[in-house]
Amino acid sequence: MSREKESDGGWKKFIWDSEKKEFLGRTGSSWLKILAFYVVFYGFLAGIFIGTIQVLLLTTSSYKPTYQDRVAPPGLSHTPKTLKAEIEFTHDDPKTYEEHINAMDKFLLKYNEENQKDLLLFEDCGSAPTPPIMRGSLDQSDGGKRVCRFNREWLGNCSGLHDRTYGYSEGKPCFIVKINRIVSYLPQPPQTNDSIPPEAHERVQPNLIPIHCAAKKEEDKDKLGQVNYFGMANTGGFPLQYYPYYGKLLQPQYLQPLVAVQFTNLTVGSELRIECKAYGENIKYNDKDRYQGRFEVKILVKVR
Amino acid sequence: MGNREGRDQYELDATSEHGGKKNDKKGKKGKKDRNLDELKKEVDLDDHKLTLDELHQKYGTDLSRGLTVARAAEILLCDGPNCLTPPPTTPEWVKFCKQMFGGFCMLLWIGSILCFFAYGIQAAVDDEPVADNLYLGIVLAAVVIITGCFSYYQEAKSSKIMESFKNMVPQQALVIRDGEKNSINAEEVVVGDLVEVKGGDRIPADLRIISSNGCKVDNSSLTGESEPQTRTPEFSNENPLETRNIAFYSTSCVEGTACGIVIKTGDHTVMGRIATLASGLEVGQTPLSIEIEHFIHIITGVAVFLGVSFFILSLILGYSWLEAIVFLIGIIVANVPEGLLATVTVCLTLTAKRMAHKNCLVKNLEAVETLGSTSTICSDKTGTLTQNRMTVAHMWFDNQIHEADTTENQSGATFDKSSSTWAALARVAGLCNRAVFQAAQESVPILKRGVAGDASESALLKCIELCCGSVTAMRDKNPKIEEIPFNSTNKYQLSIHRNANPSESRYLLVMKGAPERILDRCNTILIQGKEQPLDDEMKDAFQNAYLELGGLGERVLGFCHMPLPDDQFPEGFKFDVDDLNFPTEKLCFVGLMAMIDPPRAAVPDAVSKCRSAGIKVIMVTGDHPITAKAIAKGVGIISEGNETVEDIAARLNIPVGEVNPRDAKACVIHGGKLKDMTSDQLDDLLKHHTEIVFARTSPQQKLIIVEGFQRQGAIVAVTGDGVNDSPALKKADIGVAMGISGSDVSKQAADMILLDDNFASIVTGVEEGRLIFDNLKKSIAYTLTSNIPEITPFLFFIIASIPLALGTVTILCIDLGTDMLPAISLAYEGPESDIMKRQPRNPKIDKLVNERLISMAYGQFGMISAVGAFFTYFVILADNGFLPMRLLGIRIEWEDKSLNDLEDSYGQQWTYEQRKVIEFTCQTAFFISVVIVQWAILIICKTRKNSVFQQGMKNNVLTLGLFEETALAAFLSYCPGMDVALRMYPLKPTWWVCALPFAVIVFIYDEIRKVIIRRSPGCWVEKETYY
Repeated sequence: MSREKESDGGWKKFIWDSEKKEFLGRTGSSWLKILAFYVVFYGFLAGIFIGTIQVLLLTTSSYKPTYQDRVAPPGLSHTPKTLKAEIEFTHDDPKTYEEHINAMDKFLLKYNEENQKDLLLFEDCGSAPTPPIMRGSLDQSDGGKRVCRFNREWLGNCSGLHDRTYGYSEGKPCFIVKINRIVSYLPQPPQTNDSIPPEAHERVQPNLIPIHCAAKKEEDKDKLGQVNYFGMANTGGFPLQYYPYYGKLLQPQYLQPLVAVQFTNLTVGSELRIECKAYGENIKYNDKDRYQGRFEVKILVKVR
Repeated sequence: MGNREGRDQYELDATSEHGGKKNDKKGKKGKKDRNLDELKKEVDLDDHKLTLDELHQKYGTDLSRGLTVARAAEILLCDGPNCLTPPPTTPEWVKFCKQMFGGFCMLLWIGSILCFFAYGIQAAVDDEPVADNLYLGIVLAAVVIITGCFSYYQEAKSSKIMESFKNMVPQQALVIRDGEKNSINAEEVVVGDLVEVKGGDRIPADLRIISSNGCKVDNSSLTGESEPQTRTPEFSNENPLETRNIAFYSTSCVEGTACGIVIKTGDHTVMGRIATLASGLEVGQTPLSIEIEHFIHIITGVAVFLGVSFFILSLILGYSWLEAIVFLIGIIVANVPEGLLATVTVCLTLTAKRMAHKNCLVKNLEAVETLGSTSTICSDKTGTLTQNRMTVAHMWFDNQIHEADTTENQSGATFDKSSSTWAALARVAGLCNRAVFQAAQESVPILKRGVAGDASESALLKCIELCCGSVTAMRDKNPKIEEIPFNSTNKYQLSIHRNANPSESRYLLVMKGAPERILDRCNTILIQGKEQPLDDEMKDAFQNAYLELGGLGERVLGFCHMPLPDDQFPEGFKFDVDDLNFPTEKLCFVGLMAMIDPPRAAVPDAVSKCRSAGIKVIMVTGDHPITAKAIAKGVGIISEGNETVEDIAARLNIPVGEVNPRDAKACVIHGGKLKDMTSDQLDDLLKHHTEIVFARTSPQQKLIIVEGFQRQGAIVAVTGDGVNDSPALKKADIGVAMGISGSDVSKQAADMILLDDNFASIVTGVEEGRLIFDNLKKSIAYTLTSNIPEITPFLFFIIASIPLALGTVTILCIDLGTDMLPAISLAYEGPESDIMKRQPRNPKIDKLVNERLISMAYGQFGMISAVGAFFTYFVILADNGFLPMRLLGIRIEWEDKSLNDLEDSYGQQWTYEQRKVIEFTCQTAFFISVVIVQWAILIICKTRKNSVFQQGMKNNVLTLGLFEETALAAFLSYCPGMDVALRMYPLKPTWWVCALPFAVIVFIYDEIRKVIIRRSPGCWVEKETYY
């Protein structure tokens, strides 16, 4: 791209033409006019935009989003989080798992007993799975909605109350598993045992969404060892009385039911792919979304 | 034959102005390449001044036996073959590379390389880099390669048509060597060879004629003279181009025979010098490529400005250096309009096709537009403006000038044929005529038939054939008894026929020739079929008619006859043409007939169209000033009422020197005068005269004229067919050669070829060129508009940390998918007003893409479009649970793959994949919103000033484009499998309509703007927004 015609002098003259008193090819008043125009124009455009967004907000319900087809069926997520679904630690080196236990501490803070004392906000929903508790229509008409208490103690060895390291220091890592919150979502327990692996049959109960963790690969089955499940009444599932969720506005203090999974006998030094699945009629899995109704995690426990 | 006197006058004229001024010319310009300068000088030959003896000495040729074979072989070895060195052809791969790396392509290549670079950075930093930049780089490269191949293919196609023009038949020449006549390949002719030529031959080299027999050559391809020129051994003019004793290479011998010594061969011939001059000229950029370069500067400026500002901004916002660099590259690349190269190429191709349909073949795609910017057309006369065919234009009989029909299709005026004088005149013209139609042409229209014979006799033959029926039948009825052919001493032609008319005498003497000579031989004149004495009054009338016709640049012939009295010339009388035993004086004058090479029918109209389109039409011809002026007046190059200095002088009856040259708008410049002008004088001349005719110009002068116009900033088109035009054709911004009559050299030098040789096709070219310029503007405005909604998502991704609203794939879907056909369809858009009524664009001010276009497309339309699309984006996210406020600053969490419980505004938790799905749904919706606003933009861009309601929706391709882009958008969104292939997701119907109000807003906004521009021209709005 030759540019012979516009030599340096041309550029300088373009930036400031002292003869015509032009800066970048425009005089002062010309700049003023065009800038004023654009200020008005963009002001007007911004006004339109803000107006339309206001209309959007006015027509949107404060309690429930218009569409939920993308967020349901729910995801199954776990704490601690894993980078690229991998977790690796040395059980006699606290530094390698410090981050995880901090995350779990932080996550479980809401579940401390002292935070669930307000009777206006919390109620006792029993210690055994019961059917869902409906709390009226999804709006302010019935006043605030109470939520069920969830006792951190139920998480047993994984509650962090007895073992501050959630088993990590012994090479028996805990994962806290939850079903992602969805407003008004009512999970349905499995009707049959057909799709559930035999080992999990014992955890199938009415009013409970069971989960089960197993090695992904057949040959790793032996290396996985014993898996312990902690939850309400040691059920290893999500009790239905915590559902439905009434949304952030009506239940800001909502505690979703948790299940803790502890791998107590992992083979040290070998990487294990473990898959945990929740089972229910309206819990679906998806090849692309590896956190929908299930999750996978690779665990490697090392020794120094 | 015929009007010798007239011809002599012309030449005398030429001589007087030429005399002795040749030497001043040399060394005028020093700055240019010396070699080229050498070629630009006038032909320097002195062989025509030499006597035969001197020639013999100079060339060592025996004037009867020729060279010896051995000597000829020696010279051949030394000088090389007698052929023109073909212009250096560009190798195919260079042409291909030019398509690949020219102007616009470089922009895309740089974009592509930047993409790969950015991907490299990402790959080095991240284990799992986002492949978007890689794909974008590949797509950009693919776009360039595909478009490059396409335009290469297009140009190869038109150059193939060019190839087919080439005449591959090897020429033969008859040379005398060692006293023997040999027919050898013309390439083997050497300097000093003795060559014989006869009617129909091409002259094999520059010849000095040593003997001739009625030889005439057609010099039109070299000098532009339409009449065949006599060649004799006599030295008649200082100027080698005008002297009669030199015949030039590649001109043709029309009739007679001649023998001459070869004085120059190959590239040294006059023709060769011109061809070398043409191929040595450097060609400037086409106006369009200058425009595109300017456009690239603007685009790059905007891109770099945006990129650098956001680079700094992202550093301030706390991004790392590498991230900021990736952003910088991303923004710069996002500014590249990927589809525009293809759009522009297709638009130009479409126009080139349309022009080819209208008989304008364009060699170089970018030249399509050049005619549209043309402000001056320098047209050759012969063959371009005229039919290149002598035709009877006027007759004078019964003391009255009658106009004959000269139009090509015989639609013109006719005259009263009832007078018996006309019957007599027709009989004389038909009988005293040696021209005959060539055989087997009954189905061909008379005017198009081939004729064997002299040009003026052919003209007479055709005229009589048209008016009075078969001339052959007439000749059969009145068989020729005896004849005296034309010779230059008599200046008449005479024949004696048996008279078929029983009421008249047995024998009829008919004669034609130079009018004044014929008149001298007459003492009576035929008026209304009655012989009347030729008195002084009649002679004055004749004189006036002769002058008037001569002043029209016509070649006038006089006709007379005499019925030979039966008593003196009984049946079987032996006529003796040597003794002249019959009267050749005291004849009866019948009338005059005047011939001219008439202008083509469509030319006057075309010239006036060019005029009203603000284009200067200049005639540059090698022909004589009088003829040139007459034709110029005939076609309107000198318009009615405009006078030259000479005209004013004649009207006011004062010497030419006393007329103020500023008073005359028109002027006729003789080549001899031009030769002595300095370039300042020439500039002055070109500036102050609107209607100029250059006559008797040499090829070098044509070049100087073109350069003169270009110095004034004009964009010059040159039309021509001869070799003499080729340097000018090459130098011109657009050279237009003639497809039928044009010489190979001229076609090679030209950028465009008129397949029907019709000047009127140029008007079509101008119209198409201007239209495509306007439509390209519209197309670019349309394409650039979508750039803003394509860039803003990335900008907001960086500064507001919201999820990316439009991804690379969707950007490419817009640029290379939905925007494509609508942008191309704008090439089919009709003109808004009469584009042939406005001035040609000023290449300094009227740019293809100016800051107003950018301001409109980017600053206004694009912004509204982006706002509309962002609104859709926020609607979808809000509908799914993410209200706008939640989105601000969400980027880090949103992009965190390990975070699978991201909370929305309602407390719902989203896995990574779930939110990616709505992100991609948003991108699909954003894409569709852009398409919807682009509906309005497309309708807006149809016009720059008019309302759509004035313009109408007549452009069906555009309507199709609207449906096509919608259908494509819907297909991309709803076709199963798209979620996997392109990550595009189906939309809910309500999401389609979100952008509609913005389409309406932008439409209304622009209609208001156009109303203001129409109502108050020149107002601030027009100055700032009329692109």
